[in-house]
Amino acid sequence: MGAKIAIVGAGPSGCYTAQALLKRAPDLEIDIIDAQPVPYGLVRYGVAADHQGTKGVARQFARLFTRQNARFHGNLRLGHHITLPDLRRAYDVVVLATGLAGDRALGIPGDGLPGVIGSGALTRALYEHPDAAALPSLGAHPVIIGTGNVAIDVLRLLAKTPDELHGSDLGPAPTDWLAAQEIRQITVVGRSRASAARFSPVMIKELAELSRVDLRLRFPDDAEALNTAVAATSGPLPVDFRFESRPVALEQVDGALRLTVETPAGPEQISASSVISAIGFVCDGALDRAALLQEADAAPPGNLYTAGWFRTGSVGAIPQCRDEAQALAVEILDRITPDVTKPGRAIFAAHKSIVDFDHWQRLDALELSSAPGNRCRQKITCREELLNPATHEDA
Amino acid sequence: MKIAIFFGTETGNAEMLAEDIATGLEAEHETSLADLADSSPEDLKVAELNVIVCSSYGEGELPASAKPFAAQLADSQPDLSDVRFAIFGLGDSEYAETYGFGSMKLAELLVARGARALDERPVHDAASADLPEDVALPWVTAIIDGLAT
Ligand SMILES: Cc1cc2nc3c(=O)[nH]c(=O)nc-3n(C[C@H](O)[C@H](O)[C@H](O)COP(=O)(O)OP(=O)(O)OC[C@H]3O[C@@H](n4cnc5c(N)ncnc54)[C@H](O)[C@@H]3O)c2cc1C
Ligand SMILES: Cc1cc2nc3c(=O)[nH]c(=O)nc-3n(C[C@H](O)[C@H](O)[C@H](O)COP(=O)(O)O)c2cc1C
Repeated sequence: MGAKIAIVGAGPSGCYTAQALLKRAPDLEIDIIDAQPVPYGLVRYGVAADHQGTKGVARQFARLFTRQNARFHGNLRLGHHITLPDLRRAYDVVVLATGLAGDRALGIPGDGLPGVIGSGALTRALYEHPDAAALPSLGAHPVIIGTGNVAIDVLRLLAKTPDELHGSDLGPAPTDWLAAQEIRQITVVGRSRASAARFSPVMIKELAELSRVDLRLRFPDDAEALNTAVAATSGPLPVDFRFESRPVALEQVDGALRLTVETPAGPEQISASSVISAIGFVCDGALDRAALLQEADAAPPGNLYTAGWFRTGSVGAIPQCRDEAQALAVEILDRITPDVTKPGRAIFAAHKSIVDFDHWQRLDALELSSAPGNRCRQKITCREELLNPATHEDA
Repeated sequence: MKIAIFFGTETGNAEMLAEDIATGLEAEHETSLADLADSSPEDLKVAELNVIVCSSYGEGELPASAKPFAAQLADSQPDLSDVRFAIFGLGDSEYAETYGFGSMKLAELLVARGARALDERPVHDAASADLPEDVALPWVTAIIDGLAT
């Protein structure tokens, strides 16, 4: 019998790591553990509702459980239902692929004021993550801070008309919420020059195709995609890109937020009904990331490895998760020495609340079959229903 | 028949489809499966038929794993006039202007080196409800049947 490996986190990094391991060593016993009752991490709860093609990787990940003999143990949170020392005692190798669920704070005075929202918290709410807070009110003039792909995802969803969300999996409550915001203007603020922004040109191209937007650039630049988009749009919703604008302070003034930015033309003030920060992600504090990274990297190598965003920080999209997972799999297989006395998944026997992959397949089928005509899926949203799909079926 | 299956991928979907094609053909044919990243143009000269699955990325560019192979095709200018290939694209019609461009560019590079393209170049649309294997397997079987007669 092969070595036993526990992978914590069923997002792209955990799944690609399992895939790469099983391709090289099909007799491994791989258990993928996730705090949520459903797999795939940010593929389900981060990748935009209107980018369904990107979510196609989930089909590959499903094969881990339906054909390649990996096991899914959902609704099992490391640090709550089970401890890391217990897991390490039970497995030859433990891989931490738990991602980064905390929003990086702006780090300026006033960044904790009401109306300041993290993009992670916002997208979790939009995509109906069971642990998400309620959707906040954004008001008529939200300001998005950050110029990465996540910032553009948020902007695009806020700017789309209901028709432009056709075929997505945005739920009925978030859809109604979007319509109720009555946004009149959106401002995107970034520190870098437009030509140095991190978003990819295809994301900007996509913005240029939206019927409602009128893109504008505060400081002209030679950013090609953006200039083309500015020239191509003239809708009723102004979207101001303010590059070379470093946020320095937030204040509350007359019931609105006032953001001060440092620009080449001196300090400027931007009034905002809400501020969405999209400047990256950090550990939400559930695990002691710094200590764990240090231990995983220590020589001689123990049986602990880290992968994905948990390891690298919130840089890199799904293709990078795949590349890194392949390298990690080789590293693990080079070093692993199976110990037949390790109990592996037997230690979960007492955890009656664990759900398996069959459970997810039932949820998946329900979500697909209950989708209204203009949506490709209707997510089951609350944890109780995710754990008892039958209650949903009867409803 | 000796059939070599290759894939060019960025997030693994083309690899999965290439595996499905290999599985679908292996009972009746002698098949091999390789990532374009681990292949050279010379490898196309071994089998009677080469089946290539290739996605698109960025703005209609080749996926990462096909790029070094394409560079070799351009740099070493191999003579592929005895090579026969059939290519299947993966794409997403949301990228309307560059839909299926990755597989198209690769096909063009091969044809420019003298290789003969068999049949059309179907593109599976990630935005559709079709499963790529349901489109690709009948397509490849029809090509093989055509070669046998
Ligand atoms: C809003 C947003 C949009 C994005 N859009 C794209 C895109 O369009 N294209 C693209 O290529 N990339 C996109 N990305 C990036 C991509 O999502 C990441 O590269 C990728 O998800 C990182 O994978 P991961 O497995 O490291 O983390 P995650 O996907 O976050 O997976 C971590 C998993 O671990 C689980 N977990 C966490 N803590 C515990 C615990 N204590 N015990 C058990 N399980 C736990 C979580 O439930 C989750 O399932 C996006 C990211 C965000 C935030
Ligand atoms: C950022 C990005 C850019 C893409 N660009 C294109 C494109 O220009 N043309 C196209 O047909 N498909 C495009 N696609 C769709 C992919 O080709 C499709 O999702 C495919 O299934 C990916 O296969 P792979 O996993 O083998 O790389 C793009 C997808 C992403 C995520």
